[in-house]
Amino acid sequence: MQTRELFSQFSPFAFGMFYLIAIAAMAAFVVGLAQHILRYRRGRPAGVPVDWRGGLRLMLDDVVTHRTLSRRDPYAGAAHRLIFFGFATLFVGTSTITLEYDIVKPLTGQTFWKGWFYLGFSLVMDIAGVMLVAGLVMMIARRAWFGLAKLDYVRRYRGDTAPLPRATAWKVEDWVFLVTLLLIALSGFLQEAVRLIVDRPPLSDLSPVGAALGGLLSGLGLDAAGAAAVRRANWWIHGVLALSFIAGVAWTKGKHMVAAFGSLAVRDSRSVARLPAVAEGDPVGVTRMDDFSWRDLLHFDACTKCGRCHDACPARNSNYPLSPRDVILDLRLLAQSGDGAADPHHVIPPETLWACLSCGACAEICPVGIEQPVKILKMRRALVDKGEMDPTLRGVLETVANVGNSFGEPARKRGAWTRELEFPVKDARKEPVEALWFVGDFASFDPRSQTISRLVARLFNAGGLDFGILFDGERTAGNDIRRVGEEGLFEALSAHNGAQMAQSAFDWIVTTDPHSLNTLRNEYGEAVKGRKVLHYTNVLADWLESGRLKVTKPLGRRVTYHDPCHLGRLNKEYDAPRRVLRAIGCELVEMPRSRDNSFCCGAGGGRIWTPDPPGVEKPSHGRMHEAAALGNIDIFVTCCPKDLTMFEDARKASGHEGDFLVADIAELVAEAVELRAIPANYLPELANRIAESLAEKVTARVVPELIQALAAQSGRLLVAPPVLPAAEPTDIAAEPAVVDAVPAASGEWSVAPVAPAILADYDRPAKTGLRILVAVKHVGKLGDEFRFRPDGLDVVPEDLDYQLNEFDETAIEAALQLVEGLGEGEVVAVTIGSEEAEPSLRKALAKGAHRGVRVWSDAVSPADPIAVAALLAGVASLEAADLVLTGVQSSDFANGATAAALGGILGWPHAAVVVEMQWDGKGRLDITRELEGGVRHRQSLPAPAVLSIQSGANVPRYATMRMIKEARSKPVADAAMEAIGAEATGRRVAAMDRPPVGQAAMLEGSAAEIAARVAAIVREKKGG
Amino acid sequence: MGGILVVAEHLRGNLSAQTGEVIGLARELKAAVGGPLVVAVIAADPVRFHAELALDGVDEVLAVEAGEHFDPAVYEEAAHRLALEMKPRLVMLGHTVNGMGFGPALAVRLGGSFVSDAFGVEAEGGRLLALRGGYGNKVLTKIDVSASCVTTLMLRGGSAKPPPAGSAPLRIVPLDLQAAAVRAAEHRDYVDPPPADVDITKAEFILSVGRGIQDEKNIERFRALAERLGATFGCSRPIADSGWLPKAHQVGLSGKVAQNCKLYIALGISGAVQHLHGMKHVETIVAVNTDRNAPIYNVATYGATVDLFELADALEREFN
Repeated sequence: MQTRELFSQFSPFAFGMFYLIAIAAMAAFVVGLAQHILRYRRGRPAGVPVDWRGGLRLMLDDVVTHRTLSRRDPYAGAAHRLIFFGFATLFVGTSTITLEYDIVKPLTGQTFWKGWFYLGFSLVMDIAGVMLVAGLVMMIARRAWFGLAKLDYVRRYRGDTAPLPRATAWKVEDWVFLVTLLLIALSGFLQEAVRLIVDRPPLSDLSPVGAALGGLLSGLGLDAAGAAAVRRANWWIHGVLALSFIAGVAWTKGKHMVAAFGSLAVRDSRSVARLPAVAEGDPVGVTRMDDFSWRDLLHFDACTKCGRCHDACPARNSNYPLSPRDVILDLRLLAQSGDGAADPHHVIPPETLWACLSCGACAEICPVGIEQPVKILKMRRALVDKGEMDPTLRGVLETVANVGNSFGEPARKRGAWTRELEFPVKDARKEPVEALWFVGDFASFDPRSQTISRLVARLFNAGGLDFGILFDGERTAGNDIRRVGEEGLFEALSAHNGAQMAQSAFDWIVTTDPHSLNTLRNEYGEAVKGRKVLHYTNVLADWLESGRLKVTKPLGRRVTYHDPCHLGRLNKEYDAPRRVLRAIGCELVEMPRSRDNSFCCGAGGGRIWTPDPPGVEKPSHGRMHEAAALGNIDIFVTCCPKDLTMFEDARKASGHEGDFLVADIAELVAEAVELRAIPANYLPELANRIAESLAEKVTARVVPELIQALAAQSGRLLVAPPVLPAAEPTDIAAEPAVVDAVPAASGEWSVAPVAPAILADYDRPAKTGLRILVAVKHVGKLGDEFRFRPDGLDVVPEDLDYQLNEFDETAIEAALQLVEGLGEGEVVAVTIGSEEAEPSLRKALAKGAHRGVRVWSDAVSPADPIAVAALLAGVASLEAADLVLTGVQSSDFANGATAAALGGILGWPHAAVVVEMQWDGKGRLDITRELEGGVRHRQSLPAPAVLSIQSGANVPRYATMRMIKEARSKPVADAAMEAIGAEATGRRVAAMDRPPVGQAAMLEGSAAEIAARVAAIVREKKGG
Repeated sequence: MGGILVVAEHLRGNLSAQTGEVIGLARELKAAVGGPLVVAVIAADPVRFHAELALDGVDEVLAVEAGEHFDPAVYEEAAHRLALEMKPRLVMLGHTVNGMGFGPALAVRLGGSFVSDAFGVEAEGGRLLALRGGYGNKVLTKIDVSASCVTTLMLRGGSAKPPPAGSAPLRIVPLDLQAAAVRAAEHRDYVDPPPADVDITKAEFILSVGRGIQDEKNIERFRALAERLGATFGCSRPIADSGWLPKAHQVGLSGKVAQNCKLYIALGISGAVQHLHGMKHVETIVAVNTDRNAPIYNVATYGATVDLFELADALEREFN
């Protein structure tokens, strides 16, 4: 039976030598593998469920089909397929020989590597060798001559023109890898050729390549003796190369051959769409390498540097300082150093982390299933936890935490967009509905998006959908908040929205906002309870196809469609919008980058809240160029509120204003179904609603004036009586609540100094060091729409949104910096307010104050800084404070008086509008006040003192939701007021009114005439 | 008894412009309040301010010798002494940094009413109603100070006009201010601000451009116009995003809020919410935009749909 002799003509020494080398190589492989696995085991849990069974099946499927490798790069896919299957076959072949020679034969004496099996085996090995060589040559050609920028590792996106030293090393590694494999394959063929020349077996062992090469060498004059010599030498060359390769797998590019299988097997089918939660007790973000999960660490090793993510990344394409591949590679280098305590932030700068748009393009195209955005997110979480972020973003997070939306609008205005509708929109919290419409921030507050929301509502109404919204119960869904890295705030938002949904009855959820859709569908868990979360295009597509909405006017427009990242790539909904466009008779022309390869608009991952770095071309502009290049497009269609905003802006700013329109898909549908803005049967309803709204406005305006008018008629003139024909004031007695009119001149002139209020003692720690009080105020913020109370003395309480006075945050920070600098001392936040002020006090504690004190008396008006100061003076005396800080003013009444009033009552030194402060805690305070025009006045004051701290004096730290939670357990004392002097209170508002405002008075006439008017306005205002 | 006591303010030898404004309002209120209008100045050499303070309507200028530099303890003590002597119905000062430094402390020692950041007083039928903002200036608040025998009132800048020159006599009032010594501040020095770069938050007059200027090449032209008008040059987000102007010029949510702006000229800005956030509170807004329905007109005081390049030409001629 035909076979071939292994180790032909080997001396025992050579034989032993070979086994020594082989065992060492395999040991190196195993040790390397074990080291990596041990390193992964030091990582944290995966954070998302791992579906081993499904993952393995999908991994095998992907490997066999090479689907992930062939996408968008068929050449590389084909080459890798040849290498992979060639290599795998040769590996299996070599293993078969080892199996027989080293295991089966020594154990049982049986052999099977002979006869027809041997011949077939030889033929298969020959073919596999050819595949391997062909694939390697294709890859070598690609690297050498294709000029692919992604393969030179030069970080042009951050201005580099030459590769970093590590990138040069990577390039060398790539070449060594390819060339080594090629040499192994070629030396294998050579070995076969010379063996065939020497041994001349029957049928040439069915090794056509070896036989042909042998023939060629013989033809070139290689005789049997020469062949035998080559055979001896080349055997070692081939063997040592192959074994070195095996030994190096764990330490070189070769490790992807193992790690990629693992990475693919543990893939999360909803990666990026569903982010890992932070487990209780785990650190919030990643600040050391072993804070990453074992999956993350495995991902680092799986990376093949192929650059598909680098090519796809919209941030990299727009010259933001980010390449997802380079992030993974840099983290891999650090991970492989083996130092679990190493800080990944030392290798990945914050600007790189903030550049990510969370669009998922990188993870989508990664052939080995790496989730790059997840690593970025985990590192962002650490930055947010430390408050290291762009001030704009930080402001947005504060706003969202305060009012529940990123627009800073009062929560009760969330449903205001529905007021212009001709029909009432149901409140899903109050009556059951079929569909709960989760509106989202942009669709609720952005004026352009509001018009779309109304259109969609009219379309839903026209289709007879029983839907409702949550009105002021809805808050930002939190998708982007989570992607920014503020996990605690996301938890708070999702808990709130979940609770609102829990008290509503509905069958499914619909939204126009893909970002809300994503987090509701993938991250809300229990709250959504397996109910469908649909995009409005799903609903419209079904209706248009079933005739529930009838297209009466097919549009016949040539349009292109932009897949929103969160709808398409993250939730695989590519077809519904296209079905809609087809149904309304549009000709859809696809952009080169569409569906899973859609190019982010630039708004994702919280980037819409972050200023763009200089020198970048915005992703949305690039997208506009792409659409314009299609030629003769009528409309660029979007179906995401953020897209609409981004692309409307980009169309104008990128010079394509004349090329096409940007429109939401609902606008096209409305046109195609000839949606009438106001259906006739809703007219009576509308009339009622207008009447109601008018009545509300009239009441708000007229009542206070009416009261004043009444007062005026009874001899207590406040202001000129308004023209109110309906009122008959003479018959009605004056309201005593208005004002008390005693002419001052009749009283005796006297001074009545204000004394500190007397407080009951309360629990507080014994004073052991420096004690700094910070006065914080719970301030009411009024939106653009508000009403006055019937007595006209204040606004309706429901129209106020309360939050911690932002100026006080600077004072808290100043106090904290002082005690942190001194290394001792206590910061006590004090608020004068009712129980309702507690959230602001807690916020101050979250920012770092050590404990809180709250005092209140109904005798005090929060608008009266002197009464507030009298109560603060009571606290300062009891606490024996060393220093009291206040914000420069409160954002509600802006008296700017509390600090000096408090200083006056206590008889302490005081200063207002302080921008800098130095103090050793004992002697005099060195302060700098900021005067008008930016001049600074440096003074020193004795202590104890009261200072008001100017805003901008420092950057207040950001209180993450985690710090807010921790603040819940900090002590707060409620101090009871026992007495306050009459002179301290009693200053009250006599009337409140709207300041004179008006719509723009239009200046008419020629340019010169208008210029003259404008010039007059300028001169008047400048006091010229 | 009665009358109005105005406490003057000065810095590095110059009288504060706001003191004249305070005197201006005090003069208007004189008839309603009754009694004399007395202006006190506290300085190392107070006499030199006599002529500047002896404005029309002022009955007497009081000179109090003290340290040259502002010290809240000294001002509070001096004003308190003068008030005890004069028994005024109104004590008025500017709502300035120094005013905030001592006015409220004076008010708590006097008792009575207190109004800071007032921008006017209505005096009708024997009643005095101080006007001030509320809730971030979204409402107008009236505080009745009629019943108090004394009221400390701090006046917002720009709320009144200084009266013309007058001829009030000067009286030097020797005061023992030792009581303030324990609380007194020690003057170190003044630090001038760094050479002015653009600061939207501090600017009182801003001329901003938006996408309506169409091309980066036009930036310089409007920058020159802003300079000619004496305005700080601002812009909307798209301009900064396009890199036509540095971010520091951007007014709006992601840019800077025009906190101190009194006059805002918006050229070619449609008025996205994000931009309005930074400027809608400004007292006087002049908007120029060819679209009559642009949201900017909802917040603007004046509007014009004229071509902004023509207008720019005409404005240049106006300020030639």
